[in-house]
Amino acid sequence: MNVFKSKKKYEDEVESVLSDIPIFQDLNRRELKIIKKILHKREYKKDEVVFKEGELGLGMYILVSGMVHIVCGSEKQLLAELRDGDFFGELALLDDEPRSATAIAKEASVLLGFFKPELLDIITRNPKMGCKILFKLAWVIGERLKKTNEQLKDLKCLKENASI
Amino acid sequence: MSSIVKLFIFLIFSAVFIFFLISISSVVKLIIVSALFAYLLDPVVNFIESRGLSRSSATIILFVCLTIFFVSLFFLIQPIIISEIDSLKQGINLSHAEMMITNLENFIVSKLSFLGLKELNLFDKLRNSFLSFGDWLFSHVLDAASFLTSIIIVPFNVFFLLKDGREFKRTIIYLIPNKYFEFSLYLIYKLNLQVGNYIRGQLFDALVVGLLSIFALWALKVKYFFLIGVFAGIANLIPYFGPIAGATIAVVVSILQTGSFQMALYIIVVFIVIKLFDDIIVQPLVVAKSVHMNPLIVLLAILAGGKLFGILGMLLSVPVTGFLLIVIREGIENYKKYRINFQT
Repeated sequence: MNVFKSKKKYEDEVESVLSDIPIFQDLNRRELKIIKKILHKREYKKDEVVFKEGELGLGMYILVSGMVHIVCGSEKQLLAELRDGDFFGELALLDDEPRSATAIAKEASVLLGFFKPELLDIITRNPKMGCKILFKLAWVIGERLKKTNEQLKDLKCLKENASI
Repeated sequence: MSSIVKLFIFLIFSAVFIFFLISISSVVKLIIVSALFAYLLDPVVNFIESRGLSRSSATIILFVCLTIFFVSLFFLIQPIIISEIDSLKQGINLSHAEMMITNLENFIVSKLSFLGLKELNLFDKLRNSFLSFGDWLFSHVLDAASFLTSIIIVPFNVFFLLKDGREFKRTIIYLIPNKYFEFSLYLIYKLNLQVGNYIRGQLFDALVVGLLSIFALWALKVKYFFLIGVFAGIANLIPYFGPIAGATIAVVVSILQTGSFQMALYIIVVFIVIKLFDDIIVQPLVVAKSVHMNPLIVLLAILAGGKLFGILGMLLSVPVTGFLLIVIREGIENYKKYRINFQT
């Protein structure tokens, strides 16, 4: 009984996490079920590396439970601390460039991987659903670009003020 | 445990696994044939699924359509197949051929007597080759027991591979350790892309060549045109050797049937035209994304495949070698470019 209960609890947790991910927000319940079936569940121990800077990237990860640090460079400069419901690595869905940072699980974590082969498969099998995901993916990347531009603008202002 | 010890253990397990597969090779062959059909039919199921149906419904619809198609085809061509098989069992009327070949043999012996040639026994050798081909066909392809088993097991396997193939793949991927997970997924993706397209392209190509051969041999009134045409289509799957094998069988049958070389000449010309059509039009269109390999490597792969696994080995040697080359090439490229660290 406990096995079924814990499985049900996990399924509910995953559904709740997926419905909050911007990339999947335009999908209906049936489409979310299809997405759930194609995601790859991965479990990471504390301090286990999810992916390294410079490695081949194939897709994004969604954090169901645990904590992940995104670090950069040899000094492992912390860029972001991610918690349940956060996602990272989505650029790898669109390009073939190496990973620009390292992701390390700082606690025992459960991640769901959504990768390029599966995205291309959805676009072939279910073009309408594929378009919804692609549009939202473009929106998310656009938002991140806008945020980066704002941060750059703020840094420039700070620099100008400092020089004055 | 050091990485060398791990690699050694991995190699031992791989060797044991390969030995186990070779010992159950007949079962493995059935699975491979089923996987090939599943690869071929996967895009059709994907297309039906993209219309809004579930994977199970799409697979069932495809199988219903295929059943109707093959049952209709069977009733249509059954008279031709039965008459050709009966004729093949009885052998051809060889009186014309015997006379012609004896004349040819006398001519060769008279011209090359300085080499010490006395008797070539060409007719007996040709006849024995034809009969042993017939025996091979019956024992390997048309053997009733294994044919019936295949006809039941292969569609059963194909149905479940099409319906649940993705689930099987995900279960296997789940077992891969996190460190090699994305790279393994990348290799599987590349394998599907290149090898899958190659197999589908080659199977379609074989279908086109088979149909053209059947039509051409029927037009030339060659006996067993249907069986030889089917054989030529299947043989076309094997690069270099296949087309030659198909044409040779047709030429031998025509010589034994008519006792003249004229028909053999027509058959050679027809097969050259079919081969040119295949190379210039069909291959570039349908096998465009195939595995690109040096012709010498293709030849060595076919010889090795034939030696290890017979005809099926020759058919699959090119895509399997292509996959191994992808693994080696991508592994080296990614190790250099993306600094994949396989150390603990």
